[in-house]
Formats: sequence, structure tokens, C-alpha cells
Amino acid sequence: MSINVRNITKAFGRYTALQNVSLEIPDGQLVALLGPSGCGKTTLLRIISGLEFPDSGTVEFDGQNITDQSARERRVGFVFQHYALFRHMNVFENIAFGLRVRSRATRPPEAEIRRRVQELLALIQLENQARRYPSQLSGGQRQRVALARALAVQPKVLLLDEPFGALDAKVRMELRRWLRKLHDEVHITSVFVTHDQEEALEVADRVAVMNGGHVEQAGSPDEVYDCPATPFVFDFLGKVNIFHGRVESGDPATGTLEIGAPGHLASGRPPAAGYVRPHELELRRERNGDATVIEATVLRIYKAGPLARVELRRRDTGELVQAEIPRAAFQALALQPGETVFVKPLAIRRFDDGMPC
Amino acid sequence: MGIRFKQRSILPGFGLALGFTVFYLSLIVLIPLSATFWKTSALGWHQFWHVVTSARAMASYRLSFGASLIAAAINLAFGVLVAWVLVRYSFPLKRLFDSLIDLPFALPTAVAGIALTTIYAPNGWLGRPLESLGVHAAYTRLGVTIALTFIGLPFVVRTVQPVLEDLDKELEEAAASLGAGRWQTFTKVLLPTILPAAITGFAMAFGRAVGEYGSVIFIAGNMPMRTEITPLLIITKLQEYDYAGATAIAVAMLIVSFVILLAINVLQKWSSGKRGSADLRDAPGPEATLRPAYGREEAH
Amino acid sequence: MAGAIQSNVRVAPASGFVATQATSEPALVRWLLTGIAILFLVVFLFLPLAIVFSTALEKGFAAYFRTFQDPDTAAAIRLTLLAAGIAVPLNMIFGIAAAWAIGKFEFFGKSLLITLIDLPFSVSPVVSGLIYVLLFGMQGLLGPWLIDHDIRIIFAVPGIVLATIFVTFPFVARELLPMMQAQGNDEEEAALTLGASGWQTFRRVTLPNVKWALLYGVILCNARAMGEFGAVSVVSGHIRGVTDTMPLHIEVLYNDYQFVAAFSVASLLALLALVTLVVKSVVEWRSKEQGNDQVPLGGEEGA
Repeated sequence: MSINVRNITKAFGRYTALQNVSLEIPDGQLVALLGPSGCGKTTLLRIISGLEFPDSGTVEFDGQNITDQSARERRVGFVFQHYALFRHMNVFENIAFGLRVRSRATRPPEAEIRRRVQELLALIQLENQARRYPSQLSGGQRQRVALARALAVQPKVLLLDEPFGALDAKVRMELRRWLRKLHDEVHITSVFVTHDQEEALEVADRVAVMNGGHVEQAGSPDEVYDCPATPFVFDFLGKVNIFHGRVESGDPATGTLEIGAPGHLASGRPPAAGYVRPHELELRRERNGDATVIEATVLRIYKAGPLARVELRRRDTGELVQAEIPRAAFQALALQPGETVFVKPLAIRRFDDGMPC
Repeated sequence: MGIRFKQRSILPGFGLALGFTVFYLSLIVLIPLSATFWKTSALGWHQFWHVVTSARAMASYRLSFGASLIAAAINLAFGVLVAWVLVRYSFPLKRLFDSLIDLPFALPTAVAGIALTTIYAPNGWLGRPLESLGVHAAYTRLGVTIALTFIGLPFVVRTVQPVLEDLDKELEEAAASLGAGRWQTFTKVLLPTILPAAITGFAMAFGRAVGEYGSVIFIAGNMPMRTEITPLLIITKLQEYDYAGATAIAVAMLIVSFVILLAINVLQKWSSGKRGSADLRDAPGPEATLRPAYGREEAH
Repeated sequence: MAGAIQSNVRVAPASGFVATQATSEPALVRWLLTGIAILFLVVFLFLPLAIVFSTALEKGFAAYFRTFQDPDTAAAIRLTLLAAGIAVPLNMIFGIAAAWAIGKFEFFGKSLLITLIDLPFSVSPVVSGLIYVLLFGMQGLLGPWLIDHDIRIIFAVPGIVLATIFVTFPFVARELLPMMQAQGNDEEEAALTLGASGWQTFRRVTLPNVKWALLYGVILCNARAMGEFGAVSVVSGHIRGVTDTMPLHIEVLYNDYQFVAAFSVASLLALLALVTLVVKSVVEWRSKEQGNDQVPLGGEEGA
């Protein structure tokens, strides 16, 4: 089932949660809605599910306009952020719920219900917990039950609202991988909301980065990471250094960005900004005649496992620069706080030149 | 998009539930209440004022309000004490005592009335020793105050208890480490924290006591101008078919009740503001303290 | 949150307050305070309770049971049961409807509604009864119409039932509302996404979650309905054997100096009060045992 969201606008009182949002979710894909709190991702998910209604715009399932259908009619599987397990029913009854409330005509016989629930219990590896109550389960177990419950009614679409948000790091990673594996087996169109960019990039087929009520960029994980369309996307998906400079020669939009010697900064040429990731900076002890390197002082060094993070201050502008270099390279340099180094950006991304990456 | 009456929700049954609620309320509360005010307006301002300020009515206000004030004050002092003892100390049968605190809520007022009168009558369990000390309890203003103390007992205890239970031990430890004595810690650190809740309980006890009838009527003596409470005055006027007079005094009482209710709401806002948490804790109305304490997760 | 009835969630720590050196008073002070508190509670709570039962049984069990064979007493008990039997179910339905509408939805005028529901608590019972007299009494608003149609409400059973309904209608609503609000809408939304209809959701998801609060609200409503005195006193007319409820009959017996009989009837109501307190304890214990009915189950650590 493909999902198509067109021109959705939603406001809560004076607060606009979604502003003319459009997004395409192809059949069978696992899509992540990624963004900071308040960007509207959960609202969008709920509108897709039918738990909220947009002020304007349409939602289509397989080309059919279902904007006015309620959640019940849309037959989506929804996994809530806090699981929303029925607290007075045990695990078995929770999973069986969707099947049991069907009307007489469409309800499967009890034996069939039991079989399906057992299948799902095996899938989520909780066969021995069937009689337990939600309050007796751990967070990760509850999450899996919530997922099984949503899958029991064989929905065409699976929607997950920050499914791993409340779990600790190790559990989160395990469940993340398990969700990906599940999707590879079942191939159900899935949309999940997260604020964790690592999660989105690792799990999803497609990532939609959202900010302030609209979609900044939608594409594959490689696309959004390597080819961010806006500074926000660049910044959200990793750390960033911003180098302000001027376009020295040629067209301001497409000319070469020079961020070197101080003299250039006052030259009256149009200003521009370049974005560089910390691990795309090379540190050297000598200038070696290269005019494009920047002189800086080492402020602080953080050694964190395989990387060394070096905090530098530019000599010319006084701005801070964050660099990440592999441990081996760092040991070769043997840097100390207070020393002078030269920083060379290996890849600079600009957003004002109108060029795709 | 302008103000909607209701946010669109996918939960069903709103219309039905609200409709029935409003219907029921109108039938049971609004229509009868408006009849009261309508009847009063037929009275005319002068006569209304005359009745409401007559000597007999004033005497009854002095008794009703005065005794209620004293009773609420007693409950304030002892309520804080009882709440403290229940939360901080352990002693045999503590759980029994704790459950019994709500007795004045659950016990019918008439039962309380005859029980208290029998205890404090001149030949009663406590009346006899009091008489030998020259203290007349039953059929006097003292008796009224005692009955009103009984009625208001749970209020302060039940509003202060949760606050005490939530108090961070570290506050006291900090005070002690800074050199404060136990009494200083209590007056400077603990008391200000529980004061809003205590005063809220005081206001609730007062509000309840002012309108109290059943518990007081037996022990009061009911002599006009001396030991007649305002609700009794209303009933007496009714029995004399002085509907106008009864209504006038009832409206005066209603107005006072509203003012007290308002004060309680304001106090509760102040109380929750002081505590700083927007959590579900403050009992909004007089009887709410009889609500059971539902367990909460240990982790805050 | 504007217009929210908030519940009195008490963290009753299982282990109790553990005093350390810095947070405890000298033993003498502790004993003194405890003693005063206990004395206060004994005088004000235990004694009244004790005297009810002691006086009722003063002349032995035979006299105790004979009280209830008196026709007027039996009639009073029947009338009380009738009034409660009508008031409690009606108020329960109202309570459920009001709690659902207010607890699960956002709309304009919520605070006003809640204030109205709280009204009987802030009004003197005598005034409550008077309100109905002014509407249905002979000189009341509807008086002439009722006389024309030969319907008696005041000084008859219907008036008593109405006054009882008025005084006790908030109880169920006020027990359910904080629960429904605290539990949020998540489970109901989940049920709807799974295909349940409105009624199925209410029956299978909402009601079971609030069953203890509902039970307690009903028991409390019942206790107060049976024990109401002031309001019923005004509307009843005190016609022995016809419009006397149990509390009114207690008054009659007491004023007749039939103390044993009065306290015997009173003891029934006192027992009901004790049952109410027991149910409250059970509800507290049960909900603590079921691990937290108030806050939605969230995730913590561990797989």
C-alpha cells in the first residue's frame, strides 16, 4: 500500500504544526520521519493514521483519498510512543484484541485466533510471557507486544511513533535491528517517527527530514547524509563547522570559496559560507606553502575511543573549529593544548551556489 | 482558524455523554437553583435586607460562622499534628487510625449528632467529668464547636498528608547540616511548605462547617438568639411558612458558600503554584479528600 | 490545565518514612506528639463510633433486633433503600457520562461544568432541600401546576428521592474523572486503530481501567444517599411511616427518648460507614498492587 500525503496543513490553536507538507511513501518501504521535537513529525504520523484530521490537504492510500476516514476505517497498525498496552489484559489478550473485536461476520474462530497469536508471540520471542500483564514486563518487552498487537490485524500500513525513544541505548540498538529484519521479511509499508538520526539512517529505506512544520529533504539515507539539501539537514545529521569566507573569483554563486588569509576577508567580495564535517578536516604542523589552510591554536583535546576530538580556535577570526581525527593520526601529530596547527578542509559543502552535490 | 467549541477527536460518544450530562445537570441543579433566585427576586431588596440582617439571623450567623471558625482553627492545629504523626512516626494500629480519619465523611450526620450529644450530655462519658469541672458541653456553643470539629477533622489531615509524604528528606538534612535545630527546621523549612495545603484544608473545613446541620442540631440546644445555627433558622422559618424569609437567608448562605468556594480555588492554585509541580495532587473541592490514595511508581 | 479535576494521588510509601539522625526529633518529643495525636483521634473518632454500638446493645441483642420489627422503623429502612436504590444508579450513569465527556475531550466550558458538578458540596444540605421546596412546594414555582394535577412531590417520596439525588450526584463523577484524565486517551486510541467500535472501546478498555474508582464512587454515593439528613429533613414533612428515612427516624426516636432504638438504627448506618472505609482501603491496596493505575505505562530500561 503506498501512501501519498499532499499539502497537509494542521494548526493547534495559534501553533502551526504542519505547513503545506507533501510526502510520498512508496509501497513496501520503511520510511523515517526525522526531526527535532516540535517539528511536526508525530502530528504527520497521526494524520496518516487517522487519529488526527488535517485542516487542509489530503491523504491517499494506493491513490484513494481517505482523508475523511477515521482511524478505525483505515485499518492501520499504530504503535504508540508509550505502547498504550491495555493494562488490565495480559499479553495474549492484548495481541488478540484486534481480532476479538471484529464483527461476527469477519471474526475468525477462537482456535484460529489462538494460532495467530501464538505465531506472533514466537515472532517477538515472548512465548513464555503470554499470561503476564504489561506491568510485569520490561520496556523492551512491552514494545514488542505493542508491535505484535498492531500486526495481528494484518494492517496494510504500520506506523510507529518514536518506538524506541524510552528505551536505553543497548536495547534500542537491538530492537532497531530487529525491526529492520522484520520489515525485510514482511515488507509492509512502514513509517516511523524518530529524533535519533543514527536510527533513521541505519534502519530506513527513505528518510524525510522535517523542521518547523515542513519537510526539508526526503531521500535515501545516503542522499540526505552525503547530499544535504539545506544547512538544517546538514547540521541535524551530524556535527558541522561553518567557515565564513568570500567568493574570490568568478560568479558569486559558483565561484571558488576562499577561506584563507585574513586579507581576503575584507576584500569586498561577496560573502559565503562553507560547511565542513569535523572528520573532513586534516590537521598539519606545517603550512607547506598551502594558502588554503587555516592557522589555529589547539584549545582542548578529548580522546574518545577510536577518535580524537580536537577543539581549535582560528587565529584569524577567533572562531571555534571542531576536528575529529583518527587516533593513529593524532598520535603521529602528538598535539598539545596551546600549540599551533594548520587546518585543511577536505570537503566543503555550500548551499548558496544552487548546485546539487 | 477561530475558536472551536471542541477539538476534533476520534474518540466517540462525546455528543451523547455531554448531552446527557448537561440534561441531568439542568434538571437536578440548574432549574431548581434558578427557582430559588427567582423567588428571591420576588422579595424585593428591602425586605430581603431586613430579613437577612434581623437580630435573630445575626445571632445565628455569629454562632454558625464563629463556631465554624473556631472548629476549623482547632482542626488546622490538630490536623497538621495528626498528619505529621501519621506520616513520620509509626505506632501500633497506625493503619487503623489512618483509615478512620475519613469517618466523619462516611458517617451520616444524624448518627454523628446523636452520638456526640450522648457523649457530652451531662451524664455522658465525657460530659460527666466535664460537668464536675464546671464545663457544660452539650446544649451550649461549646457543644456546637465540638460537633463542627468532628465534621471538619479529615479536611486538614487529608490535604496536608500528601504534601508531607512528598517532602524531600534532603531539605531537612540540608537545614541540619547548616546548623539549624529541629524546631527551627520545622518552622523555617517545613511549615512554609505545608502551610498552603493546611490553609486550604482550613477553608474547606470552614466551608463545610458553616452549612452543617445534622451533626449540630442535636447537641446545639437550638435556642433562638443563643444556640440556634443558621440552617436551623431556615428550617424554622419554613415550618412557619415564612418561605420568603427562609429563602432570603438561604440566598445569603449561598452567596457566602460561593465566596468560600472561590477562596478555596484560589488557595489551591496558590498551593500548587508554591509546590511548583503541575502534577495531579490538589483536591479541588471539599469532599475530594475522601478519594482513595492510588499507588504511584516509586521512581519520581 | 484549565478546568481539570485533579486527583488526590497520594504516594503512600510502602516503607514509610525512614528517619535519619538529621530528620528526627528527640524520642520524648515524638512520644508526646504521638500521644496527643492519638488522644485527639480517640476522643473525636473512636468515642462517637463506640458509643453508637455500646448504646445500641445496652439492653442486649434481643432489644436490638426488636427495634427493626417496629413497623415505622421498617418503613423508614424501606424508604431509605428505595431512595438510594433510585439515586445511586442514576448518579452512576451520570457520573460515567460526565467523566467521559470531561475526562477525554477538550472543549469550551469545561471548568464551568466541573464547578456545577461540585455545587452540592459547597451548599448547606438545608439549602439544598429548600431549593426543591421552592420549585415543587405548594408555594413553589411549579406548585399550582402540581396541585392541579394532584402530584405531590414535596412532603412525599418523590421529593425525598430528588433531594437525595441532588446531594449525592457528584460522587461517582468525582471519583471517575481524575482517573479518566490521568489515564489519558492512548489506550482508547489504540483500541480504535485495532478496529474496535466506540462501545467496544468503552466496554473493554475504559471501564475495566476505572473499575475500582467506579466501585468506590458507587459505594460512597450509596453511603451518603442513605445517610442524608438535612436536605431530606426539609422536603420530607416528617410523616411517620411514610416520609421518614432512616436518619429522620433516628431523630424521631431520639427525640422520643428511645435511645436504644435510635442507636440501633444508627448502628446500621455506622456499619455502612465502616464498610465504606474498608472499601476505600481495598481500592487503595488493589490499585497499588496492580502497579500504578494512574500513569500510563511507559518504557524504562531492559529488553
